[in-house]
Amino acid sequence: MTATVETAPPAGSRGPVPPAPEGSTTVTVKIRRFNPEVDSEPRWDSFEVPALPTDRVLNLLHYVKWYLDGTLTFRRSCAHGICGSDAMRINGVNRLACKVLVKDLMSGGGKATTITVEPIKGLPVHKDLLVDMEPFFEAFRAVKPYLMTSGNEPTRERIQSQADRARFDDTTKCILCACCTTSCPVYWSEGSYFGPAAIVNAHRFIFDSRDEGAEERLDILNDVDGVWRCRTTFNCTDACPRGIQVTKAIQEVKRALLFRRV
Amino acid sequence: MTEIERHAVDVVVIGAGGAGLRAAIEARARGMRTAVVCKSLFGKAHTVMAEGGIAAAMGNVNPHDNWQVHFRDTMRGGKFLNNWRMAELHAQEAPDRVWELETYGALFDRTEDGRISQRNFGGHEYPRLAHVGDRTGLELIRSLQQQVVALQQADFREFGDYEAGLRVFAECTVTDVLLDGGRVAGAFGYWRESGRFVLFEAPAVVLATGGIGKSFKVTSNSWEYTGDGHALALRSGARLINMEFVQFHPTGMVWPPSVKGILVTESVRGDGGVLRNAEGRRFMFDYIPEVFKEKYADNEAEADRWYTDPDHNRRPPELLPRDEVARAINAEVKAGRGSPHGGVFLDVSSRLPAAEIIRRLPSMHHQFRELADVDITREPMEVGPTCHYVMGGVEVDPDTAGSRVPGLFAAGEVAGGMHGSNRLGGNSLSDLLVFGRRAGLGAAAYVTSLGQDKPVVAMADVDQARQRALAPFGGSPADGPPENPYTLHVELQQVMNDLVGIIRRSDEMELAVKKLDELKRRARNVVVEGHRQYNPGWHLALDLGNMLLVSECVARAALERTESRGGHTRDDFPQMDPEWRRALLACELARGPAGAEAEVRVSRHVQPPLRPDLLALFDLAELQKYFLDDELTDHPRWQLRERA
Repeated sequence: MTATVETAPPAGSRGPVPPAPEGSTTVTVKIRRFNPEVDSEPRWDSFEVPALPTDRVLNLLHYVKWYLDGTLTFRRSCAHGICGSDAMRINGVNRLACKVLVKDLMSGGGKATTITVEPIKGLPVHKDLLVDMEPFFEAFRAVKPYLMTSGNEPTRERIQSQADRARFDDTTKCILCACCTTSCPVYWSEGSYFGPAAIVNAHRFIFDSRDEGAEERLDILNDVDGVWRCRTTFNCTDACPRGIQVTKAIQEVKRALLFRRV
Repeated sequence: MTEIERHAVDVVVIGAGGAGLRAAIEARARGMRTAVVCKSLFGKAHTVMAEGGIAAAMGNVNPHDNWQVHFRDTMRGGKFLNNWRMAELHAQEAPDRVWELETYGALFDRTEDGRISQRNFGGHEYPRLAHVGDRTGLELIRSLQQQVVALQQADFREFGDYEAGLRVFAECTVTDVLLDGGRVAGAFGYWRESGRFVLFEAPAVVLATGGIGKSFKVTSNSWEYTGDGHALALRSGARLINMEFVQFHPTGMVWPPSVKGILVTESVRGDGGVLRNAEGRRFMFDYIPEVFKEKYADNEAEADRWYTDPDHNRRPPELLPRDEVARAINAEVKAGRGSPHGGVFLDVSSRLPAAEIIRRLPSMHHQFRELADVDITREPMEVGPTCHYVMGGVEVDPDTAGSRVPGLFAAGEVAGGMHGSNRLGGNSLSDLLVFGRRAGLGAAAYVTSLGQDKPVVAMADVDQARQRALAPFGGSPADGPPENPYTLHVELQQVMNDLVGIIRRSDEMELAVKKLDELKRRARNVVVEGHRQYNPGWHLALDLGNMLLVSECVARAALERTESRGGHTRDDFPQMDPEWRRALLACELARGPAGAEAEVRVSRHVQPPLRPDLLALFDLAELQKYFLDDELTDHPRWQLRERA
């Protein structure tokens, strides 16, 4: 027993492969990998994975991690599009892996399907699909994303009309997944740009009737790395998994700077 | 020994969900240097998934509401097993916590006169849940996260250091709480990204790690929910109570398979959605238990009138507490009246205009369209029970959130007692805020009381923690084949789902305990490949130990309680038993003989009797359904009853 254990291949994190579910087709999942301990450059790895049309890309990544290569590294948490942890580039487009169904990526006409998965662009890659989110959160913090008021706090709530509350509803849906910011060509080339997500989070307070810090935030966004970098390519709006009208929000901030400032 | 990254602080908060962040904000406000350690990125905690709202008796929508009504509802929901002092504090303080959150900048849906709007929910007598559409948890986390950023920027202005008072250690996992003479001295963990170890030297630790749902196969919980705080508490010498009570939310998605278990918010029913079986029958009318008959409508006409005239009609039975609805759905499916994919139908499409559904339930509309190809404005959803919440947790002092281990505090889902045998929807977010704040206060007061008498971390304990963490890299195990953590996790989930799930039987639970023993033995042989740098297999191997320990508590406590109550249903003991109402089951780790592994022991304790003024808030007749006569002699009407 001891001898065979000695010579046995090292047990991995890999589990025995379960039988492919009924109705599944095999798809190729092509993943951009990078392990800083051994790789000097990123490389591509392909895996054959049985997939149901209703599976999500996240399920395929789990399959790879559980059964084919236990070292595959990616973030995920809530797994249904609320926490915003699993933003990645899927077939060249920024998406949350937990919200993209395989059936929407299938090749037509019985051709074999390949799904490419890469880390989001513009942030340093730590390992595989895991990027350093710190520059992204730094930009978020720079727009002072918190309510600024003067005077005494009320004992109960501040009154806010339904119309005033609806004014900024769209930008409060942000989940800070970075899909928008890392789809922006300006952000790719000039990392100092605040990026769409930070502007969305500034918008959320600039247009909040309870907030008194609009001027301060507008000053910040009037900066050389602020809203004027935006070239309205709409990549951010297309990328947003929450359906936020990101480009529109940026335009509203620009307009506020042009017309509303005193 | 090699060098280790060290941080000396006053309070370490483990977990950055609602309870953890609120605790951290409070501790810092009391002048404590505070560290928040969380497994995920900052702002991604499980709290974001809460949809319905925050229960608080503000009375904005129905002025009859007050803390006493909320207290009564909470006790009823928990079948009177709740720690009454926690339920009292919770009901009294929840409105202040919601208003405070609003001053932090939280967005809320508003009434016509601009106040915070409140919605109906299961088990709540009045519209009570402050909400933001169906993304309340997300807004709660975001508001607290924003408050942390605001405080850090204030600290920068004052001290030139953003992290002078409050520092967040994201993607960092704590594996051990370190003690000195039985008191908390610090915490040991690792950075998930680099795999490097980190030591926190701190006299107080607040556990705010959430729940245990990842031990079950079908769950609405996210990956973090591996019972870390429950296990840390046990291993530090604290006790867990009420571990037999696990809430299965009645409405999780059942199809497609890849999203099975994902939550369908109770707001669907609060806003008018109804449950039907395959025959089209609104079956909940068949499942109104005796104790709730006075409060719930027994016919469709009255139930429907309630939505517009709640003062003169009884509530629809779809809004019974979650345990009742989950059992009813389970029974319908078992009786062969389920939907095609093994659930029942939840229909809002025939109840509200499409535009109104999209306005009130945008996330649900989106979720079903994207993931199940179902348009909920046109057709019903298919739903079934999913493991959602654990009522059990660390036994704490209600006022300070302190456990019996000096310096160890717990708040939120990881704490036990507040919800008794079953939690009401909406009472979780309020719990996080009320007891998160109290834990921060409690920890700060404790640290202040220590003065110079600070516990010290022993380096031998650090070495031991390091060895424990590195064990899965140990190579070939001596007594069996190497195991991999994913396989064991899948097997554990199956055991808990099949044998300690929504309906329980003694023979099945005995089998579960045996299987858990076997899994525990095999878990010692887990071997992981690769290095410590971001290694998900290693992380799971460590989390697995926690899940196994906590699962054992659930199974052993459930086996012990020979009655059905709230989130604990026994096929072999279907009745609620008043004797058991005052019984509290506590789990602790008992050290065996030297060298032997510590094992979970369950012991039975007596609940502290309900304070007379709180007893008086209920009708005697209602209490008699739950209590033994000798517990009710303090009720003001007791003597009258004797005379009559």
